[in-house]
Amino acid sequence: MAAPVTDTGRSLTMARAGREAVIAEMRKNPNIFVIGEDVVKLGGVFGTTVGMAEEFGAQRVIDTPISETGFIGIATGAAMAGMRPIIEIAFVDFIGVCFNQIFNFAAKTHYMSGGQFKMPLTMMIGYGGGYNDAAQHSQCLIATLAHVPGIRIATPADSYDAKGLMHTCLRDDNLTIWMVHKRIWGLGWLGTALKTAIATVPEEEYAIPFGQARIWKEGKDVTLVGYGITVHAALQAAEKLAAEGISAEVLDLRTIVPLDRDAIFKSVSKTGRLVVADEDYMNCGVTAEVLAVVAERGPRVLKAPAVRVAYPDVPVPFSRPMEDYCLPDADKLVAAARKTLGK
Amino acid sequence: MTDIVAPADLWDTDDEGVLFLWVYPDGTVVEKGKLIAEITVEKAQLELTAPASGRLRILVQPESIIKKGQVLGKIEAV
Repeated sequence: MAAPVTDTGRSLTMARAGREAVIAEMRKNPNIFVIGEDVVKLGGVFGTTVGMAEEFGAQRVIDTPISETGFIGIATGAAMAGMRPIIEIAFVDFIGVCFNQIFNFAAKTHYMSGGQFKMPLTMMIGYGGGYNDAAQHSQCLIATLAHVPGIRIATPADSYDAKGLMHTCLRDDNLTIWMVHKRIWGLGWLGTALKTAIATVPEEEYAIPFGQARIWKEGKDVTLVGYGITVHAALQAAEKLAAEGISAEVLDLRTIVPLDRDAIFKSVSKTGRLVVADEDYMNCGVTAEVLAVVAERGPRVLKAPAVRVAYPDVPVPFSRPMEDYCLPDADKLVAAARKTLGK
Repeated sequence: MTDIVAPADLWDTDDEGVLFLWVYPDGTVVEKGKLIAEITVEKAQLELTAPASGRLRILVQPESIIKKGQVLGKIEAV
């Protein structure tokens, strides 16, 4: 990880840190505009665009009807014509209606035009549950998006990465998706913020390269892999494991596409044990892709079978006890880590 | 010494708010007008800026329920 530029000691929420990057890029580049539902008056359902309409005006911050296919199509066309659109989609749950525009146009035009058209298009999307919003407002669906070539996916876990990865998204000439778990975004109404998600954020611009995992905590007995919110569960688990004399390494994938396969294999080669956490569904998910890295590169580094702690393949329950039962958390990661150690 | 007060016009209703986050740790020297805290009321995130330049002294911890007009901290002259 690149060293922080100047740490001014400012603690920012992820919402504010991401917004700071967008505003900085918009000030420099008049071709960047924001389009989506509720981006003008409300400032985005999750606060992604607060203050932007006032600063940049109606030409560059555009409210739309509830027609995702329509405005993603508009943005895709604008990107082909040389603009650099940012699309605000509050809940990933509703992305299904946009699949044709995303999968067949935004993700493929660069390739199918032989590189004649770039696709400098960034989507800002919220994902995840844990606040009792039921099956249609709590999904992650990251593996669903990661499955299709032509899309880069950044999943920051704290505000430092939220800003740095947003800068990288906005400077990329490909379709990029910046996805933040709602419970770490730093919005009071979504519950108490996880302290570990609120980092100190330099005032200067900095770009964090895609495909570089981050080791939050070094360890020697077991590697706990996560991204977004599960990084924080892994940090809590590592603390609990330390009390039992187990040294856990916490690896944050940071970007799902591209995936830092080298970092995964390097860490597991060192610790010999692997637990992968994911709030997205288990079946054909990110956890499987992480395990595949080890299986393909050298499963003999494993001293014990790897364990996945992902969302069970069921719709997200509305009931709090039922949802809590399904969500990956520190205790489940502790149990999984113990299992890899035969404890 | 200047009190940091939750302004009476920061939000329209008489609802309580939550002091969500102090941007700087206690003892930091801050500049007048800079963002120093975030307050949540219902679903709105509101900003609190420094009423004066000086050393920030925090009186109300994050995640505390607050009311309009409440003193949240102080700015000491440096």
